[in-house]
Amino acid sequence: MTESEPLLSVRGLEKHYPVGGGLLSKPSGAVRAVDGISFDVGRGETLGLVGESGCGKSTAANSIVRLEEPTGGEVLFHGGGRGGRTRNDDGTHPNDVTRFGRKELKAFRREVGMIFQDPASSFDPRMSVGDSIAEPLSVHGLDDGRRRRAVVEDLLGRVGLAAADYGRYPHEFSGGQKQRLALARALVLNPELIVADEPVSALDMSIQADVLGLLDRVQSEFGLSLLFISHDMSVVREICDRVAVMYLGEIVEVGPTEAVFEAPKHPYTEALVSAIPTPDPRTTNRGIELRGSVPDPADPPDGCRFHTRCHAVVQPPDLDLDRATWRRLLEFRLAIEAGEIDAGAIEERARTAVDGDERVDGDERVDGGEQSGSTAEERLRATFDLPGTVADPAVEDDLAAAIEAVLDGEDGRAAERLRSTVRTPCERRHPESVDHGGGHESACIRHDPEVRAAREWPAER
Amino acid sequence: MTDPPLLEVADLTTSFETDAGRLVAVDGLDFTVERGETVCLVGESGSGKTVATESITRLIDEPPGSIEGTVRFRGRDLGELSEPELRSIRGAEIAHVFQNPQDAMNHCYTVGWQIAEAIRVHEDASRATARARAVDLLDRVGIANAAARVDDYPHEFSGGQKQRAMIAMALATEPALLIADEPTTALDVTVQARILRLLDDLKAEYGMGVLFITHDLGVVSEIADRIVVLYAGKAMERGDPVDIFERPAHPYTRRLLGCLPGVGSEHGGIPGSLPDPTDPPDGCRFAPRCDHAVEACSRGDQPAEIEVGPGHWVSCIHYHEGYDESVLSAEGALGAATDGESERGGSDD
Repeated sequence: MTESEPLLSVRGLEKHYPVGGGLLSKPSGAVRAVDGISFDVGRGETLGLVGESGCGKSTAANSIVRLEEPTGGEVLFHGGGRGGRTRNDDGTHPNDVTRFGRKELKAFRREVGMIFQDPASSFDPRMSVGDSIAEPLSVHGLDDGRRRRAVVEDLLGRVGLAAADYGRYPHEFSGGQKQRLALARALVLNPELIVADEPVSALDMSIQADVLGLLDRVQSEFGLSLLFISHDMSVVREICDRVAVMYLGEIVEVGPTEAVFEAPKHPYTEALVSAIPTPDPRTTNRGIELRGSVPDPADPPDGCRFHTRCHAVVQPPDLDLDRATWRRLLEFRLAIEAGEIDAGAIEERARTAVDGDERVDGDERVDGGEQSGSTAEERLRATFDLPGTVADPAVEDDLAAAIEAVLDGEDGRAAERLRSTVRTPCERRHPESVDHGGGHESACIRHDPEVRAAREWPAER
Repeated sequence: MTDPPLLEVADLTTSFETDAGRLVAVDGLDFTVERGETVCLVGESGSGKTVATESITRLIDEPPGSIEGTVRFRGRDLGELSEPELRSIRGAEIAHVFQNPQDAMNHCYTVGWQIAEAIRVHEDASRATARARAVDLLDRVGIANAAARVDDYPHEFSGGQKQRAMIAMALATEPALLIADEPTTALDVTVQARILRLLDDLKAEYGMGVLFITHDLGVVSEIADRIVVLYAGKAMERGDPVDIFERPAHPYTRRLLGCLPGVGSEHGGIPGSLPDPTDPPDGCRFAPRCDHAVEACSRGDQPAEIEVGPGHWVSCIHYHEGYDESVLSAEGALGAATDGESERGGSDD
């Protein structure tokens, strides 16, 4: 066993859930909840896994400890006396948790403790908390009841409760105390790794600080590694050594906490960090606005998965457009593709609105005679904040044609027409992870040396 | 000022008869909300924030509850209104966003229908207009593809989406006052930022007043125009955000600020727990957990509020005559946690 070897090493972990399909039919697709993530947790280190709800954080945690069966990738665990053995001849690793059999898995679970978000539902209400905490001991073969009790009573003291609490029941404890109990239970087998899934999210701020302080103290006392999953960025910043940011089943950025928070390299991280409310009453900080919500993981966007919501999406160099217009054009295209535009309603509103505006000249009308035609187009442009005429003539051509197609209800044709000019390298290429030094990596196409060299995106104008 | 304040709460006391005796959840609370103003009620769970807001529109069952004191909305005493009169105010003029969206929606109707219904109950709008407004509202609270989602049922929405739909429903009638009980606590930071931005816009658009209940001090500092710090049903301190965050006067406020992640070097909560509401301690409610408590703190009633700066009120004996407030700032205002002590959770039975 070498010192530099990480305790836990996750390589290309995948968890896909089949969708559709029944008793006799095959599944029609897969929800790619976790789609090839890799990271390491060093000994005594705290790694934070952050992201919005639905990005696959919890699924990742559950797959690592095999509460759910991962569908691909490796989880290499070097704890519990499993040294850094070399790979087997067939390329598998003897420490790969995903290949552990029953006995090995049981031994592995002695080394890993878990804490869940809701402390209230993680204890059996009919069992005294002492018995609940002691249960893993008897599962793992400590048959002497008196010794079990002694171990638990000692632990209760260490998590800031009293030995006398052994015989009490979960309802007698407050939320923060229950989370202390959960920590005691996670510690009872003297593990090397704790996986904590949103352990303080359900708690009040004062109790949160209390539990975090305890976690910190216990970690150094027991020399634990900690995988800390949270959507609360300020908590992560407080307690984690390194942070991995997840978006839609992928890790988009990983690095030392300070580097990630001070100089985020991925636009998604940038948006997350900027949205943290600051406890400074003199500044109002609403941060970078992310449009829409996390896309459907059963059908993730092509290329960079974040490009549909990205504020820094790369603009092709051949377009003579200002950045704002470019973004709106892309948003318009994505809205058409998502079928979000209700042409009927726009026509309806155009028809009922007061007809005061002059019509735009030189506009061909296919549906002839329809007086409100140009107004519907203007309305559509206004809805998406698009200018009356776009500066770049080629784009304007496509835009006008696309708007016409949308109003005719032919979304497919509109999207196709718009795609010929309004396109971004972000949707064509899946970004590779780029090293920024000091273990800080991010997967954004803007850091791609080729893209950088070509200066494919003009600076803000 | 000629107009009465939008909401004026004076000496609000809400108590419940329980088997264990009379439980005073809110005890003599005073505050006002002006038009276009956001007032935040801050405190730990169990400090009476939710009961206080439910007492405003009389959502507390009487008995076992009992509400005393006056609540004036645009000058009208809500305590003197009949139930039908109150019902016409709830939803239309004072809208509530509750903490738990699961219980607040009807599972048998689509989300859009429920929002449109809220609009149609309170004003004369056609079905189509109400529906279009519902789509627009869902879009503004950040539901992607609102035009399609409007026809989904509540069970097809995730928890966070339901919460946002609840906010949309509350805003549907353009209420004069929005009472929002931890509306963003369960949401992601990005969505939370969007909701806060929306509330700000509506304040500016038509002067909506907001009573915002939260325990998240980060959010408070972002949106509050004024803050009321509650502890065990009593107001400990009132003031604007600069007062509260930069010159916190009450020891409880200081300890609360010390719990902010990233503030101070030590993390440690506040030792001890909230007092038993059926048997609150004499004197200052916070005295049993306060580092600076002197003997006089545990006698008589909660100390009278003292104005330590313009509009900045604090209920602490150390600001009274004959006491020296400088003892409070002796050891750092923020995050001066005593470590060993704070690790003990204490028992709350």
